[in-house]
Amino acid sequence: MATETLTPQPIYGQVKKAGLTRSQKRTLTFYTLVLPWIIGFIFLSVFPLVVGLLTSFTNYDGLNLETIKFVGMRNYARAFDDADVSFSLMRTVLWGLLNLPLWLIVSFTLALILNQDVKGRGIFRTIFYLPSLIPATAAITAWRIILERNFGMLNNFISLFTPEPIAIGWLSDYSLQGMTGVALWGGLGSGMIIFLAGLQGIPDELKEAARIDGANGLQVFRHITLPLMTPVIFFQLVLGLIGAFQQLNLPLLFTRVGIASASVPPRPIYLYMIHTWSQIMDQGRYGYGTALLWMLFIGILILTGIVFWSEKYWVYTGAAEEGGK
Amino acid sequence: MDAQQSGWLMKRISRFLGYLILILTSLVLIAPVFFMVVSSFKVDAEYLSFPIRIFPKIAQWQNYKLVFTMTPFAKIALRTALLAISTATITAFVSSMVGYAFARFNVPGSKRLFGIVVAMLIVPFIVILIPQFILYSKLKLTNTYWPWILGALGGSPFYIFMFRQFFLGFPKELEDAAEVDGCGPFGIYWRIFLPNAKPVFATVMIFATNGVWGDYLTPLLYLSNSKTLLGVALTTAFRNPQGIEIKTVTLAASVLYIVPLIITFFLAQKQILKGVVTSGLKG
Repeated sequence: MATETLTPQPIYGQVKKAGLTRSQKRTLTFYTLVLPWIIGFIFLSVFPLVVGLLTSFTNYDGLNLETIKFVGMRNYARAFDDADVSFSLMRTVLWGLLNLPLWLIVSFTLALILNQDVKGRGIFRTIFYLPSLIPATAAITAWRIILERNFGMLNNFISLFTPEPIAIGWLSDYSLQGMTGVALWGGLGSGMIIFLAGLQGIPDELKEAARIDGANGLQVFRHITLPLMTPVIFFQLVLGLIGAFQQLNLPLLFTRVGIASASVPPRPIYLYMIHTWSQIMDQGRYGYGTALLWMLFIGILILTGIVFWSEKYWVYTGAAEEGGK
Repeated sequence: MDAQQSGWLMKRISRFLGYLILILTSLVLIAPVFFMVVSSFKVDAEYLSFPIRIFPKIAQWQNYKLVFTMTPFAKIALRTALLAISTATITAFVSSMVGYAFARFNVPGSKRLFGIVVAMLIVPFIVILIPQFILYSKLKLTNTYWPWILGALGGSPFYIFMFRQFFLGFPKELEDAAEVDGCGPFGIYWRIFLPNAKPVFATVMIFATNGVWGDYLTPLLYLSNSKTLLGVALTTAFRNPQGIEIKTVTLAASVLYIVPLIITFFLAQKQILKGVVTSGLKG
């Protein structure tokens, strides 16, 4: 063993050692290094996914392991008759339609402005990122002061401009809008940082060349910046879409932090995952709940697939080849 | 001349508009935090008022005292911090090792496995979280901290991805030299890659620690009230004997809850901005 550390090992060529070739040894080393992840992947991802899928074909209620029955597709069929499923799905789609474009546009705009040569760039960047640091639990306690129906800061502020004091239920009737405010506030920072990183990757020469050719600021944006940013927008869109459909935290907190002081969120934010969560956690319908989960999974996969398919129509992918010229 | 002048004017206007947007956005983004801090010094009766009263009549420092006397706040915070830091440390080490393997070993199956890592990035976590809970409850591991530790031992696809991307940019000469000196693959990871990955490691540590510290869903799912973490305790702890929430004390607790996050962010900002790739070359 002692000599082994002293003798430099040849780097190329096959060295016989313990009956293994060099490439076999490297393969073995690779799998040793990634083993923790493989074990985790199998037991903490694949296994739960499969167990979830199997559960969705049974009448499991959390306790009846001895008398558990296979019910085929009944749980899935039931979802189509469940009025709350279609309702909550509609709310989730609305939530996505309201939240995603707003988030993309505002965080992109902020990144565009910060990418200019502005004074105090670092300070603004820090301020914009600040809300992303604040956990949802604390964020909601803060936002309550603003969104409260009677004498909340927002309604108080709007009332300055209306003849009569107003009382909009940002936490009840208009909770979808209220929640969008909270989500936008919390998500802008991380969105902006990724857009900013993308913008800084655009070579200045390209923009310079366009300007020399007589393009104005808007044209540079339209024909250089925007096309080159489409891969980043695409990335954000995919992650945002997946996030929007599994939103559970915010409506749950809207309810349980004592805003609505009820056990179920107000109807406007009765999202798909809230319905699923309450089926499993409150009703003990594990079979039905996991079926709903798998339907969500398949739905998200299809949506993501559509976005990936649309990639070729609007996402610019030629940067690598052109950059090499 | 005229066109030049109007161009100059346009530039001034767009510049002004840019600053206006930045400042207004800053104000809107700071407002909730500002109201949170200010209101945490109010008595519950002045929590909301018409017309707006922004500052408390008398600053109620005792709200902050109540945070610690109404609940074992310090104990829960310590517990949460310990769990967050140990989970993050394990995740960071495992993810960096796996990331190193994916960055440097091109062996049969390695590309396909990395494809799985990337695919896992887009699998909705909620679809896994709930069946995981069902499994852990069958293993009688709910109401323990094992789900956090076991989860960390497998690393995380997102951090594996980060480390791999970072290690891909590493100069090959460093490890060649080490290999000539008789360093094995694990030695190379431990002595060359890991020490040179400090900024990414710090970033992952902070993300992962904050993730556990700020989490609401997982402790809600796994832990009973006596064992719970700060994210859940915050929503249930501060109530008067009638069970009605004392909002300003909850706010004081929320302020204490976010202060460590903000401090670490300001400390880490420097660490992350330090030249990363160059340090590997210089070393």
